Amino acid sequence: MELIKKFKHLFSNISLLGWLIGTLAAVVIEYYWGYDYISYYLGLPKIPVLFGTLIMLKNPIMIPSALAYDIIVYLIPILLTAGVSCNFANFLAGLFEKLPLGLSVLIHLIFFYAILHLWAGINDYRILIIKLTLISIILTVSVNVINGYQGEFSCSHPGFMALGAYTSSIITLVLFVNDKIFGTPLLPESIGPWLFPFALLGGGIAAAIGSLLVAIPSFRTRGDYLAIISLAFMFIIKSAVENLHIIGGARGMGGHPDYAPLPIIFAWTMLCIWVVHNFVTSIFGKALNTVRDDEAASEAMTIKTRKTKVTAFMFGAFWAGIAGGLFAHVLAYINPSMFSINRLAEILAMVYFGGLNSIVGSIVGAVSINVLGEALRPLELFKWIIIPLILIFVMIFRPYGLISFKEIDAKRLLRAKNKNNQGIKDKRGV
Amino acid sequence: MRKIVLLTIVAVTSAVIFSPLAFSARKTIIKIGINAPLTGDIPKVGECTKYAAMLWLEDIKRAGGLKVGNKNYEVELVIEDNESKAESAVKANTKMITQDDVLAIIGPQASKQAVPAGGVANKYKTVMISPWSTNPDTTLDRPFVFRGCFLDPFQGQVMANFITDEFGFTTAAVLYDVASDYPRGLAQVFKKIWEKKHGPDSIVAYESFTTKDTDFSSQLTKIVRSGAQVLFTPQYYNEVPLIVKQAKELGWKAPIAGSDSWGSPETVKLCGKDCYGLYFSSHYAAAGAKGATKTFIDRYKKAYDYIPDDVAALTWDALHLVQQAIQDTGKITGRIGKDRIAVRDALAQIKNFSGITGKMTFTQEGDPIKCAVIVKIDNKGEYGFYKSICP
Amino acid sequence: MELLQYILQNLINAAERGSFYAVISIGYSMVYGVLMLFNFAHGDIFMVGAYIGFGIATLFIGIFAGLLPAPLIFLATVVTTMFLVSWVGVFVEVAGYRPLRNAPRASAAITGLMIGIIFETGVLILLGATRLSFPPLMKSVTYHVGGIYITNVKAMIIIISLLLMVALHAFIQKTKWGMAMRAMSYDFLAVPLMGVSINTIAPLTFAMGAGLASVAGILYGQAYPILDPYMGVIIGWKAFVAAILGGRGSIKGAAFAGYLLGFIEIFVATIFPSTLRDLIAYSIILIILSFKPRGFFGMEHSTKLRL
Repeated sequence: MELIKKFKHLFSNISLLGWLIGTLAAVVIEYYWGYDYISYYLGLPKIPVLFGTLIMLKNPIMIPSALAYDIIVYLIPILLTAGVSCNFANFLAGLFEKLPLGLSVLIHLIFFYAILHLWAGINDYRILIIKLTLISIILTVSVNVINGYQGEFSCSHPGFMALGAYTSSIITLVLFVNDKIFGTPLLPESIGPWLFPFALLGGGIAAAIGSLLVAIPSFRTRGDYLAIISLAFMFIIKSAVENLHIIGGARGMGGHPDYAPLPIIFAWTMLCIWVVHNFVTSIFGKALNTVRDDEAASEAMTIKTRKTKVTAFMFGAFWAGIAGGLFAHVLAYINPSMFSINRLAEILAMVYFGGLNSIVGSIVGAVSINVLGEALRPLELFKWIIIPLILIFVMIFRPYGLISFKEIDAKRLLRAKNKNNQGIKDKRGV
Repeated sequence: MRKIVLLTIVAVTSAVIFSPLAFSARKTIIKIGINAPLTGDIPKVGECTKYAAMLWLEDIKRAGGLKVGNKNYEVELVIEDNESKAESAVKANTKMITQDDVLAIIGPQASKQAVPAGGVANKYKTVMISPWSTNPDTTLDRPFVFRGCFLDPFQGQVMANFITDEFGFTTAAVLYDVASDYPRGLAQVFKKIWEKKHGPDSIVAYESFTTKDTDFSSQLTKIVRSGAQVLFTPQYYNEVPLIVKQAKELGWKAPIAGSDSWGSPETVKLCGKDCYGLYFSSHYAAAGAKGATKTFIDRYKKAYDYIPDDVAALTWDALHLVQQAIQDTGKITGRIGKDRIAVRDALAQIKNFSGITGKMTFTQEGDPIKCAVIVKIDNKGEYGFYKSICP
Repeated sequence: MELLQYILQNLINAAERGSFYAVISIGYSMVYGVLMLFNFAHGDIFMVGAYIGFGIATLFIGIFAGLLPAPLIFLATVVTTMFLVSWVGVFVEVAGYRPLRNAPRASAAITGLMIGIIFETGVLILLGATRLSFPPLMKSVTYHVGGIYITNVKAMIIIISLLLMVALHAFIQKTKWGMAMRAMSYDFLAVPLMGVSINTIAPLTFAMGAGLASVAGILYGQAYPILDPYMGVIIGWKAFVAAILGGRGSIKGAAFAGYLLGFIEIFVATIFPSTLRDLIAYSIILIILSFKPRGFFGMEHSTKLRL
């Protein structure tokens, strides 16, 4: 215990920027020396893709090598660089503090993206995982608006995703791709990537309009009827797509252009988090919370409850549509069975694992379920015993999810950690 | 502070020292990826794929590795579960290609995974053979993607012709799964060809259901009432027994015919006597097989205690195709990108490969030209050879 | 005449299908009534019931075939399976739902979902990918009456389901336990103060729901004799729809809605092209719910719902 305390104290004055610098150093080391030197001397066939979890589970003999790799490449450089650059980082963070908060956040995000880009650049499998995880984040955050902030139990998100995915795919395929269903493109292919955001927005809007079909009948009364109306909606959408031969029916639709590289998806995810954050912290978001907690009282406080609920529902559906559009363009193929009960179970698991009423919680939930799903891949069937067990334990010990009803305070997170303050605190502690 | 530094140093050095593989040079290993549905809708298909691949690996191991040129290389299988989901198949392919450096990929089996996964394989210029996917889109415009079986259009034609010639029927009914790619495609092809042969409205009932349905009574009632002479149902092994049983219970007395998806030994095991005497098109017939086919069936049965289905046989052939292509390249350079292209070129060159499911040569598109077998389920419930129809 | 036969034939088909939805959705509805929880593990309890029923049936047929008359074997199978699977229900309640009594309802629902996945995977690991064929507990005979085909199995399924529902109704209405359950669903905050422990009533409810599901599993095995680890998923969600469509905690409502769902599915596929079945069937349900948002037999409830 004493050791841990000391350890904590040692790194207590490193700001977020310091940690980012440390991680950057680690990633640079991996990028330049990971394959040729470090993993080579450790006898690893390649750079361990997910911190060695895959290789460790598959071949236990590799455990020491993979652990050594993690320590050499990640742990030591991060701690060392972060420790050494501590003062410099705090100085920089102090400078950023004087900037407007938005700008400061942006700088940090760019820094973070650089790290992500280098880390993923090693291997396309990492890129794919990050892409799908980012899309899951959008999806989870959007579900949290409805199931967390609004306090309903909606099951229709796969349906909204399908609407978004199909609408945006049709737009890009009709406009920019020489496709065997829709024929020659209407617009030159070169402007496709520039107009791709509009295709995504189209998908989002389609999902939002589709959500009215659920919202209008179900928000007349309070209750669990949303759960089955939304479930019925999901079945309806799936069946409708299966019967539309023009867009491939059950055969699915493919040949999407590669309009969704990592930076684009990263930007959309950050945009989503920012917009949703503003939405739920606005007066409207507070109104949404009061409607959840006491509908009658909020009505008395002149909140138009029905309008509030329908708007929030459409807002959530919109982002699910965007996520669907990105998903379609990452996989370059969609079919209706992707948007069925299995997807619903996955989405619900991510939301409730991460935590209700919290954007950070949603991010944590999406990232952990996605990474767990990939990291436990070598276990084959047993993966589907372990992940549910983890979820059950989380539910039992933290019934509202890992991080719930909590938001990050960006300002606090990004601030420089002043050594003098820390010192005073410590003296008192001793 | 000193303690912490000391601790880390001890940890790292001990990890390096105790790691049995540290400081050993990398070997060139030939890795073959298997992308199989071990969980999800059709776990039996995944199991057959995996077992066939393991038998193949056993052979290679016994021979002391795969001989390419003058050198023996160690062979390793990378088996990934695609959970019977499209995105999982894409992930599995990306992982095998970019992380595990596989030389070639066998699978995915079902078209709904093979179509998107084929896109990945083609993008990274890695040979992929889907043994069982019959959808034309799998290989279309993808030089690196091949398949081990015939296509839907051919199979639909084989069945339509066979039923017409054998029984002289002119009206037919079709029952298929609208939510599943393969039955849907085959049903459409069959309908088109049948109507071309016997005029419009000769398909008197064209009914569908949704994946995982178990009750077909309303569709079958319609079909029985339509007075069709034959029922064509290109469904998987878990649905066929239910369809046959319920059809009989609702008064259906005419023949029922199917497609290669019936080929699993489970069909008869689950269906029992109800299925005796029915016909389906397939890639090979297990009962009464001769030569290499029989050897394979006997070995498989000995190892895993049941008769292998067409998936296992096609996977076996696909693996041997890849094996031959690798050997034809003459040498492994160790640079994976170059080797993959060499394997692809060698594979496209293979002519008259004699596999256990028949002779095959690839077309420009990577589809084999091979014969279909009409299988009759005999009175002992075995899959007997009835007729061979070649393109 | 022929049209009448056609309609009658489909009515029988629908009654058979509806029986399954009804029996399974009653289990949902009971839990929902007492604890206000969606028991998403219910579909998989049904699956486990079918597998245990398979084991028991194979065992009993192996031992008693020829010694005892077939109906007796059938009865013994049903009773033994019901007993065993009830404990599965109790296990789910104690392990998955009791620790979450004060948690948000949705968290408990997720736990149920996860228990369901564990059941599915567990069966897949234990028994492998090979599907099992449920042994017939009675010889199937097809009767051809006035142009209508009906098998004795079908008739038995419809009759047993109805009998079960009547028995359950009697239990709920006439016995003390039933009264406790009704009281609990009326107000689960006040009733524990009257000396009725929720920790007795909840496992009892789960046990009864699971017992019903296991009978449904055996009957299902007779009608559609292929067992697969994922067989409970779709039927579970559909029963969930029926349970809420019937109205909160109403046994009558769940049974009625179960049959209705069966009828809608069968007749939509009969009247319209069968490719559009799900589309039209669920649109009808959507419309019903927009006019009857509390379901058919749902009572007004003003108690504030928990998150």
